Amino acid sequence: MTSPNLYAALAAARHCVAGCSVKEEVWRNGKLRLYRYRSIAKPASAAPLLIVYALVNRPYMMDLQEDRSLIRGLLAQGLDVYLIDWGYPDGADRFTTLTDYIEDQLKGCVEQILESHGLDALNLLGVCQGGVLSLCFAALHPERVRNLITMVTPVDFHTPADLLSKWVQKIDVDAWVGDGNVSGEVLNQLFLSLMPFRLMHQKYVALLRGEADSARIENFMRVEQWIFDSPDQAGAAFRDFVVWMYQENRLARNRLEIASRTVDLRSLELPILNLIGKKDHLVPPASSEALKRLAGSRDFTTLEFDLGHIGMYVSARAQREVPPAIAQWLAAR
Amino acid sequence: MEHDLWRQWQAFAALATPSAAAGPGSAPPGGFGFAPFVDAAERFAAATRSFRDSSVGGSATAVAAAAQTFSDFLRDQYADVFKMPWSAAPLAGADLAPAVELPALGLTREHQQRAQRAAQAWRDMEDAQRRLQRLWADTLREAAAAFVARLEAPQSTALTPDALNRLYDTWIDCAEEAYARTAHSEPFCSAIADYVNASSQWRRESNAGAELWAKLLDLPTRHEVNTLAQRLRALEEQVRAQAEVRKEASAARKPPGAARKRPNPARERRRAPKAKP
Repeated sequence: MTSPNLYAALAAARHCVAGCSVKEEVWRNGKLRLYRYRSIAKPASAAPLLIVYALVNRPYMMDLQEDRSLIRGLLAQGLDVYLIDWGYPDGADRFTTLTDYIEDQLKGCVEQILESHGLDALNLLGVCQGGVLSLCFAALHPERVRNLITMVTPVDFHTPADLLSKWVQKIDVDAWVGDGNVSGEVLNQLFLSLMPFRLMHQKYVALLRGEADSARIENFMRVEQWIFDSPDQAGAAFRDFVVWMYQENRLARNRLEIASRTVDLRSLELPILNLIGKKDHLVPPASSEALKRLAGSRDFTTLEFDLGHIGMYVSARAQREVPPAIAQWLAAR
Repeated sequence: MEHDLWRQWQAFAALATPSAAAGPGSAPPGGFGFAPFVDAAERFAAATRSFRDSSVGGSATAVAAAAQTFSDFLRDQYADVFKMPWSAAPLAGADLAPAVELPALGLTREHQQRAQRAAQAWRDMEDAQRRLQRLWADTLREAAAAFVARLEAPQSTALTPDALNRLYDTWIDCAEEAYARTAHSEPFCSAIADYVNASSQWRRESNAGAELWAKLLDLPTRHEVNTLAQRLRALEEQVRAQAEVRKEASAARKPPGAARKRPNPARERRRAPKAKP
């Protein structure tokens, strides 16, 4: 279990970094950066694909390493991929609201891409919390989204298996947030507490009892870096999200208002592809599945994978299956 | 508990520090590295062997006693997860009743009341933490009982590393299943909420005290900085709104035929957008 080879491999993996695909910053707004990835295959005849990642973790999970990169898989399918990096909010961002993220930052990215391509609409891929932002944007600006892909995206926040939702019901979120930001470390502890024995103990024991295979260990270290690289959350946006979604379930009830306009999921008539992890402990499958009955789209496709939340981005199976599924679905539209 | 899960987590998190040691022998006691995980695994193996040795060929009473010892060991290993790191702070365990219950009097009455609210919040935090700890202890008892019940009859053959690994994974399965039942329960959700709410209250009262000192020393207060930030934000919103109006006016002046085109991916790739500072 404690072979010298294993420790040598662990020591060697200390400095490995995430990210493998070549990208270029094409726009910035405050701490936000919009990246465009360099193509690696013959272009497919699809509009650009903008990936909207969650606010609670860093987006490089989408491009962790060559054999664990959803973005690389999408590029290999000939897609033109953009990615939003929300940055690390600090104290100056404490009053940034969910509306700001959607109507200023996300909208700014979309307009920038549409302007540069001379297009009316693009394709959106929202991941986890980014899927919620994408749903809101598509409902508010249907003319700017051609196709919508949601990946491990919570929609109904009151499903029986949603542990986070149960925990926050009685929390005074106003008092919790106060006028400040919410620490990323606190959120890490919260996420670890969902499965404490597996996430705080078993995975390290599993690392130590495995082979001294440098590829395996480097992959582990990159994921480990990502898991704990959690930005603080802009206080106002965090409060909006927890109260409106987790406590009041406004998105599923069509009661969510952004910039004084109702986000009505029934108005989503565009093609939607919903990607669900059947073993997702963070976003219960039932929470994502709710989109099918709530959205107005008649062109609705659900793809379920026998994977967990993180496995949907970085597992070997996800690499084989998810990018081709997305590309084929887009190509047909 | 010297080797509890919380401290193991803390020790592991500390790997990020430059002084982190990579080898098993070089990790200082209670310090960084994988040593806590190795120790925990070795203790698990030793307890499993002890259970087997005490059970093989023994009477039903001896087997039951060995199972109880093993079960106690498992609970002991994970007992302090909900003991927060600040439990050792100066107020921890102090009898705060007199400070909270006596009436506030005189010139400093408002400050006394603020201190009382902070003390009450601290008591509420401790109470919620005790409830969490009790629920955690119940969970471990349930998990250990389930694990021992799942163990096969002890064999006289030696425990192989594979067999130990399987036992460890079975223990984790039992523990997570028991924890899931607890974590979804109303008492646990209430205790978590009470803990967070009390700590929010304590932080609010503590902040108010810090603001007072900042004002006395003529330093910028959080409240003052927030006010400035809100004013700046209002100005930014005005600027954005004006820009939007200008953009709409400009679009209205464009001739009707100047609509956006359909995509041509090959051509679009040749004209990548330029970065704007």
